[in-house]
Amino acid sequence: MTHFRLESSRLLEVELRNERVMTRAGAMVAYDGQIKFEKSILGGEGLFGALKRRVGGEGFDLMTTSGTGRVYIAQNAAEILLVPLQNEKIFIESSSLLAFDDGMRSNTVFAGLRGASSGQGLFTTTVEGTGNVAAISDGTAILLEVTPSEPLFVDPDAFIGFKGNIRQEFVFDVNWKTMIGQSSGESYQLKFTGQGLVYIQPSERR
Amino acid sequence: MPQYSLINSKMLSIKLHGEEVYAKRGSMIAYTGQVDFAPSSSGSEGLGGRAMRSVTGEQMSLMSARGTGEVLYAFYGLHVTLIQLSGETFFAESESLLAYDGRLRSGTQFMGSGGMQGMLRGAATGSGLFTTTLEGAGELAIVSDGDSFALDVTHDRPIFVDPQAYIGHRGQLQSNIVTDVGWKSFVGQSSGESYQLKFTGLGTVYIQAAERGGNR
Amino acid sequence: MILNHQTLPANGNINPYAFCIDVTGEMLIRKGKMIAYYGSLRFEALGAGPFEVLVNEVLNSPLQARNFVVVTGRGKLILGDRGHNLASYDLEDGSLTIRSENVLGFQPSLACHESIIPGYLTLLGTGSFVASSNGPVHFLEPPVKVDEDALLGWADMPAPSYRYDYNYVRGALRTVGALVKGWGTGEEKQLDFSGNGTVLIQASERGVQR
Repeated sequence: MTHFRLESSRLLEVELRNERVMTRAGAMVAYDGQIKFEKSILGGEGLFGALKRRVGGEGFDLMTTSGTGRVYIAQNAAEILLVPLQNEKIFIESSSLLAFDDGMRSNTVFAGLRGASSGQGLFTTTVEGTGNVAAISDGTAILLEVTPSEPLFVDPDAFIGFKGNIRQEFVFDVNWKTMIGQSSGESYQLKFTGQGLVYIQPSERR
Repeated sequence: MPQYSLINSKMLSIKLHGEEVYAKRGSMIAYTGQVDFAPSSSGSEGLGGRAMRSVTGEQMSLMSARGTGEVLYAFYGLHVTLIQLSGETFFAESESLLAYDGRLRSGTQFMGSGGMQGMLRGAATGSGLFTTTLEGAGELAIVSDGDSFALDVTHDRPIFVDPQAYIGHRGQLQSNIVTDVGWKSFVGQSSGESYQLKFTGLGTVYIQAAERGGNR
Repeated sequence: MILNHQTLPANGNINPYAFCIDVTGEMLIRKGKMIAYYGSLRFEALGAGPFEVLVNEVLNSPLQARNFVVVTGRGKLILGDRGHNLASYDLEDGSLTIRSENVLGFQPSLACHESIIPGYLTLLGTGSFVASSNGPVHFLEPPVKVDEDALLGWADMPAPSYRYDYNYVRGALRTVGALVKGWGTGEEKQLDFSGNGTVLIQASERGVQR
């Protein structure tokens, strides 16, 4: 597993020993050692996936960073959330994904109506396997537990991702619409039920 | 001498007892006491520095504050870092320089090597190539998007930095402008940068966790 | 740290940028600043149906009524605002004028009035409210001059007046290039606070220009 370390809450240091890591294009701010960069697409998605991304307007490019040395990664001074996975799968808002171990499988999945009005893209990225995933969060990320007795409601703009045995629904609420509609154009909320963890940021996505 | 202190991560206080302080224009957010403010184009540099500045197009928009009282500085919610100098030179990306005073002498320096040709190439590509130098003993304050990070450079470990994330450096360092095909195609894509800054030697490089002019 | 309905703070900060309200009765919150909640909560527009009375008694301003909604029910509600710092403040028979965009929620025991200064509202009475700021809030005592962009609000004191620094303007006119660059940076015009009371400032109302 690649060594991910937070130099501070906003700067990720990845130490590579003849290893590879997938990072968001344009997010690297410094490096030392012998490092090579190559363009990449989200693994395992194929032609259909690339098409989906274009349709979804994700505009999300990955690069493969390989070699031996230290790579420093940051994005728009956002805080960085590290999620170590043990043979698990995380669903993550594509625009929040920053980096993950090369050995993990990634895919872009259709996430229903998400983004229809906000322009955030219709797709969520999944990363699966054992290793580290890094996501960006505008402000410190909050980890909220979902249990069968305690469903959770989240503003789509604050949603970063989730893991576990969770079901995600879009709830269209007339009252919600009255409340949110005007400012952000969102007329629905995300409802999470089941058992697992939801990651949110204390900000609306920009 | 002026007393520098941080009120919080985004706010700097300088207490004046008759001295003069130079700060980024538009950064004064409050003051008490009797303080006079005046625009200043170049701070405490000599005529040579000013000439260099007009040649290189490196503009520092400064204002001076002189008097007795307390002045609070902040700049668009950027984070503030205090740096203490004891006789050496600090190189700062001029956009990142928030405040300093007459104890430090300022100038301008070209980051790359390669003489006039390198300089022309630098002038064509834009920012991050000319730095403001501050030399002497005293404090200075820099601003960064998010907190600033100090990365150590040793003789066996040169470091490569995105010019849009570079905010300054100190120590016995040589800087070079290097172009890298990989960097050009994938890293600098969004910002249009086609070069990196390479630092070799022994010293410290300060970077921020965002690219200047990036999208949000 | 993993939080849930039970372990979330009751009316406290989760981190510097997120605040959790334990909703048990009615609370007024700014539209679009709720980021998540547990429990059964209802969000109602002000001025509609049962909450018309609140507009009359609490929000003495039709302008502000459109920016706030009433939350009722029981649950834990999380507020966030652009990744800015959030804090809760208590007023005891007090008067506080604050940039209205930064008021994220308040108890209906406080009366909310439109301030004479555009973009500000005045909270009167006894109760608590949640406000955001770019960086932590810094409190100053008058006499002090403050840049308008950094002003968050003021408590228990009269409204400020503008002060122009004519020396600065003259200096700017003398400096070569100043007419194009460096004009109107805020140094030539400040808000002057005098008397007793407290002034609240933040690093900047505007965020980083990217």
